[in-house]
Amino acid sequence: MKLKKQRSASRVGAVVLNTEKENSRNGLTAVVLSFLVFSMIGLAYASEPLYRIFCQVTGYGGTTRIAVFDNKSSVAENSITVRFDANVNKLLPWRFKPMQNKIILKPGEQAMAFYEATNVSDKPIVGTAVFNVAPFKVGEYFNKIECFCFTEQVLLPGQTVQMPVTFFVDSSIVEDRNTKEVNTITLSYTFYASDDQSEAENLSKISLKMKKSINNPGETQIIQPG
Amino acid sequence: MKKNSNLLSKIYQKFSSLVSLSVASICLLWTQVSHAAEPTPWQWYFQSPATPVMEQIIEFHNLMFFVEVGIVLLVLGLMVYIVVKFNSKANPEPTKTTHNTALEVLWTVIPIVILIVFAVPSMKLLFFMEKAQNPEMTLKVTGNQWYWSYQYPDNGNFEFDSNIIPDEDIKPGQRRLLEVDNQVVLPVNTEIKVLLTARDVMHNWAVPAFGIKMDTIPGRINETWVKVTKIGTYYGQCSELCGVAHSRMPIAVKVVSKEDFKKWLKKAKSEFASSDDNEVLKLAQFKKSK
Amino acid sequence: MSDITHDHHDHRPSGWKRWAYSTNHKDIGTMYLVLSMVAAIIGGAASILMRAELHEPGIQFITDPQFYNVLVTAHGFIMVFFVVMPALIGGFGNWFIPLMIGTPDMAFPRMNNVSFWLVAAALILLVIAGFIDGGAGTGWTVYPPLSSADYHPGMAVDFGILALHLAGASSILGAINFITTIINMRAPGMTFHRMPLFIWAMLLTAFLLLLAIPVLAGALTMLLTDRNFGTAFFAPDGGGDPVLWQHLFWFFGHPEVYIMILPAFGIISEIVSTFSKKPIFGYLGMAYAMTSIGVVGFVVWAHHMYTMGFNVETRAYFTLATMVIAVPTGIKIFSWLATMWGGSIKFDTPMLYSMGFIFLFVVGGVTGVTLANAGVDMAFHDTYFVVAHFHYVLSISALFSMYAGFYYWLGKMSGKRYPEWLGRLQFWVTFVGVNLLFFPQHFAGMAGMPRRIIDYPDAYAGWNMVSSWGAYVSAVGGILFFVVLYKTLTSNVKADANEWGVGATTLEWTVDSPAPFHTHEVTPNVAPEPAE
Repeated sequence: MKLKKQRSASRVGAVVLNTEKENSRNGLTAVVLSFLVFSMIGLAYASEPLYRIFCQVTGYGGTTRIAVFDNKSSVAENSITVRFDANVNKLLPWRFKPMQNKIILKPGEQAMAFYEATNVSDKPIVGTAVFNVAPFKVGEYFNKIECFCFTEQVLLPGQTVQMPVTFFVDSSIVEDRNTKEVNTITLSYTFYASDDQSEAENLSKISLKMKKSINNPGETQIIQPG
Repeated sequence: MKKNSNLLSKIYQKFSSLVSLSVASICLLWTQVSHAAEPTPWQWYFQSPATPVMEQIIEFHNLMFFVEVGIVLLVLGLMVYIVVKFNSKANPEPTKTTHNTALEVLWTVIPIVILIVFAVPSMKLLFFMEKAQNPEMTLKVTGNQWYWSYQYPDNGNFEFDSNIIPDEDIKPGQRRLLEVDNQVVLPVNTEIKVLLTARDVMHNWAVPAFGIKMDTIPGRINETWVKVTKIGTYYGQCSELCGVAHSRMPIAVKVVSKEDFKKWLKKAKSEFASSDDNEVLKLAQFKKSK
Repeated sequence: MSDITHDHHDHRPSGWKRWAYSTNHKDIGTMYLVLSMVAAIIGGAASILMRAELHEPGIQFITDPQFYNVLVTAHGFIMVFFVVMPALIGGFGNWFIPLMIGTPDMAFPRMNNVSFWLVAAALILLVIAGFIDGGAGTGWTVYPPLSSADYHPGMAVDFGILALHLAGASSILGAINFITTIINMRAPGMTFHRMPLFIWAMLLTAFLLLLAIPVLAGALTMLLTDRNFGTAFFAPDGGGDPVLWQHLFWFFGHPEVYIMILPAFGIISEIVSTFSKKPIFGYLGMAYAMTSIGVVGFVVWAHHMYTMGFNVETRAYFTLATMVIAVPTGIKIFSWLATMWGGSIKFDTPMLYSMGFIFLFVVGGVTGVTLANAGVDMAFHDTYFVVAHFHYVLSISALFSMYAGFYYWLGKMSGKRYPEWLGRLQFWVTFVGVNLLFFPQHFAGMAGMPRRIIDYPDAYAGWNMVSSWGAYVSAVGGILFFVVLYKTLTSNVKADANEWGVGATTLEWTVDSPAPFHTHEVTPNVAPEPAE
């Protein structure tokens, strides 16, 4: 930015001075702008936990709550139907279904339902269940006390397990203007193969060694709640 | 000042004449809208609605459509006027006008008013679509690469897959890329809750005549509802890019009378009897009340 | 003032070094424009292939549907990141920001060079992504799980992600450069409220880039680690959520559409004012309309996701917020018309393109109001109606502003005058072509035709055939443009320093044509009379 042409001495002097000032000012501007860029990247990353927390707090997207059942909570008058839905991701060779189609209960009552999963492949597999409720707006009122979805499940070849979920629907659901007309809630699970299959690999090594000491394939096993 | 009001009145005249003109021409075209539950050649407007939701969508859209065509014609008209009146030959001396507060307020306020006129029915429609009154049955839709699975949880919980009929097997009279081997059958005039999910990637279950379009997202259940008021067969297509055969996973819904639906259920239950048992296991189910 | 610089001051390196090592804003701007033309040929070829495939029902010649999806994806990425952005921002921005604000060069000339070569490398990576491992057939939205390692194994998506990373880094560096230059280096007397609207547009665009691109970069990195390193930001099985991707993508994606169209607003404002021989009508209103479009653009992203199954309140909010954008947009349209009103207009090619832009933008704008409504969107989401809408409002609108800017400044950049009759012919061919191409898509979409499909039910054949013919006509327009370019560069007709006359009042018209290698070495004073 060296000046080659002069119009008048005083003017050039002013401009040169400006240029020096300008350089440091440019640097400062760039630093401030870079800070903006990095904070936006940070925000993008922060969105992941924030989004999850937001969903859990508000029940957004049908995210359910984890709760301890409070005996003193009130029970609503009208009963509500909870429908059970089961899905298996295409990449997981399991069968998975609810053992009851639906349960009718009153908001505020605790209930337990069972799901049944069978490993139809010839090797042990670790599965994880993801879940939500529909309609989404009832998510904040749907409380799980115990659920197989809280932990990973390992199934041996041919093994069938029955898995419980204990839950209650918050009785304040009938007080919410938005949700009081809801008479059916669908609780849906989808089983995925876990990314971490190390437990299954360990098991398959063991099962090769001591085939008989493990549950017989095909035998149904019930995971006890609690 | 005089000039401004002159300009305003000119614009107003232009606007009103254009709007009435456009409405007239659209009404003329209106009569040609075909009535079918499937797309027809050279169709330029919506498919004939088969649900109250779609009827309301079209009704609200018509309101916006007329106003919007009016706006486009207004701008076009002003541009034609400018080309004629303000080209350098016709108007060698440009004016110096760069401000006109009245005009600027006007073209801020009028759009706001138009938007409010749109927003009211828009919200009404949105909240109407949201809530089913009292669904009598449930249909579960599962998207797969590249077919749909349908399940009737309230009617025996049987499930079947619905695959496209490939081009080479299409018989005369059938619609290429829209026909499937197993149509999903629904009763007419029945509020039906629709649950949607997917087993692999995202798909989207869409039937234009129903005004239904809902993403099926793996690992998540979505819910909507439909009430079809006309008996017939309705077609739709997957509406979310889902991979190689995205164009080849059509949706065909056969809407029948309630009696015919019962008959179909009986047949379907045996035809699609699943390997899984359907009995409701009361096993270990308990209620704990206060 | 045009004799400020003399030839002996034009010290420039010669040969390939002049370009490879360039720190000169004009040379870098030229390189961006050339890159944009190269990319436009690739992206345009992809569109012609798609339209030819869709010319009739059934499969014509693309036997592998994955390749069609790759074309859809590549067309979107190339047009957005390597045609529109390099031309409007990198090309015209670099060329004319320093010229119009009266400064010798950008604030960080070396960084400017880095910006360009990053985007050049990105284009190469993206083209590679189309040809390895079956290509990336995810659409430009790259929604997981389709874009996850399970459903797109192979390196193609990873290459695409890296390409976008490089392009993004380039944009961020460019944005820092532009903002610093515009804030700190304006000629004395050029207050913010006296900047040309093009400079306003570039400043706002740069801020949008600065805030939106890092979010894309973050999301892309998460997708990359999901694909390769076992993280689960978007994978449901690991506790992630594919919907989070869509939020992040559209938080970037919606401002991105304004990143593409704000510079166009700037160019059109300059041209309309120049050719009407009048200052722009409602200057402050125009500037702040753009500002509010930019700001509101950040809080409307979920209108791209109405069918996702949101709570009704969320959809109501996004509907209303989106409709608000129509107000500042209306202000801009009517201010342009008012600028022309009472003018003495010469309808040369840049002005024809500007008027074409205004018409196309209005057509695309009103369908945007329709689509803003979550209820009605159930009938339109993912149909060809949406394709028609966004091509009108940002693709061909942006294209028209690029053509307009090119004809407007070609004399300044090359020193030669383009043949006017050929320019006008090129305009009419293109105008007819793009309308023939995109208008029937409204009809197909309303009848229910989904987008991104290689084959469609036979009933949609009619409008698709018209649309394909439109594409061929538009392509002829594109070829004609290169003819104009060739004829201009090889002609002997010199362009004057100010070829547009009394209406052209911005500072770039005070320097010679072609603009010398170094300009504004003495800072012009643009303070109003009496000075200060």
